[in-house]
Amino acid sequence: MSKDMKFLVVDDYSTMRRIIKNLLHDLGYANVTEADDGNTALPLLQNGNFDFLITDWNMPGMAGLDLLKAVRANEKLKKLPVLMLTAEAKREQIVEAAQAGVSGYVIKPFTAQTLKEKIDKILESRAVPA
Amino acid sequence: MPDSAAAHKVIPHEHEPDLLAQLASLTSNLRTALDRFRNDSRLIALADKEVPDARQRLNHVLTLTDQAAHRTLDLVEKSGPPAERTAREAAALTAPWERFRSGKISVAEYLDLIGRIDRFLVTARTDSETVRANLAEVLLAQGFQDLTGQIIRGVMKLVAEVEVVLVDLTRLAGREEGLEARAGSDSQRGHGPAVPGVDDAAGVVAGQTDIDALLSDLGI
Repeated sequence: MSKDMKFLVVDDYSTMRRIIKNLLHDLGYANVTEADDGNTALPLLQNGNFDFLITDWNMPGMAGLDLLKAVRANEKLKKLPVLMLTAEAKREQIVEAAQAGVSGYVIKPFTAQTLKEKIDKILESRAVPA
Repeated sequence: MPDSAAAHKVIPHEHEPDLLAQLASLTSNLRTALDRFRNDSRLIALADKEVPDARQRLNHVLTLTDQAAHRTLDLVEKSGPPAERTAREAAALTAPWERFRSGKISVAEYLDLIGRIDRFLVTARTDSETVRANLAEVLLAQGFQDLTGQIIRGVMKLVAEVEVVLVDLTRLAGREEGLEARAGSDSQRGHGPAVPGVDDAAGVVAGQTDIDALLSDLGI
């Protein structure tokens, strides 16, 4: 995976989308698209050849967990790396996200370093064939 | 003739038992409704837990906005001196640099200028890096808007629910319907940020380290 990777950032708060987009730019990822919930994200994912999905959980319309499930259920998208970046901090939710096939989970508020580490970790695990 | 006197006169004595029966029935209905309302678990939950919780959640919003504002101000204050130092030194180098460019510089001044430019290149670089890092921190501090927004949205939902219950209460004397309990929150949609003192005991992880350990246990 290279720095040309195409990211989709899904969060209902435009401030948070800007924060993530800026941090991704700092990490060298310049190709970032935004969506404000699962309903707007899913058609973008289906038509857009994205390499990485970063999504919030708690959103109006389609929530992040449902988006994750829709991605994993889609033949074309099922292997897409999905990082959940959310304020949802209940144990049962993290287990639920893991069972739904999340690739990584970062809790808000987060640091630039944590975001970098989790993205790197996901990409490294993808680079090694299972 | 006053209306009340007229009303009195139009009720024949033979209808009094009917009226009393209706009154008894109405009183009984009202009592049942009041009992139901008193025992309505949603109302109890609202009064006992959720309204005090909402107060604590709003208090957490104050804390988060306060922290974000101070963090941002601290970083702006920390960024001023290095930015000023770069500008000041660049300005101080302009005159000798122009003398050098026009060939009107002494050897001693030239040697001094070389040393100053060497030092300037180092400090300008580190100062710019400091300012850049502070800007990245300012960026992250803006995350408070998302977190507080989620909490405020939750409280607004609660206020709407309290409104429904209060409307039911005002209708109580006249009608029994409209007392059905509202559905609780849906875990699928998420709960919003954990609030210290409210969500501590509710199976909330302590932070990113806890999550990493949990995910590692789950093979992720």
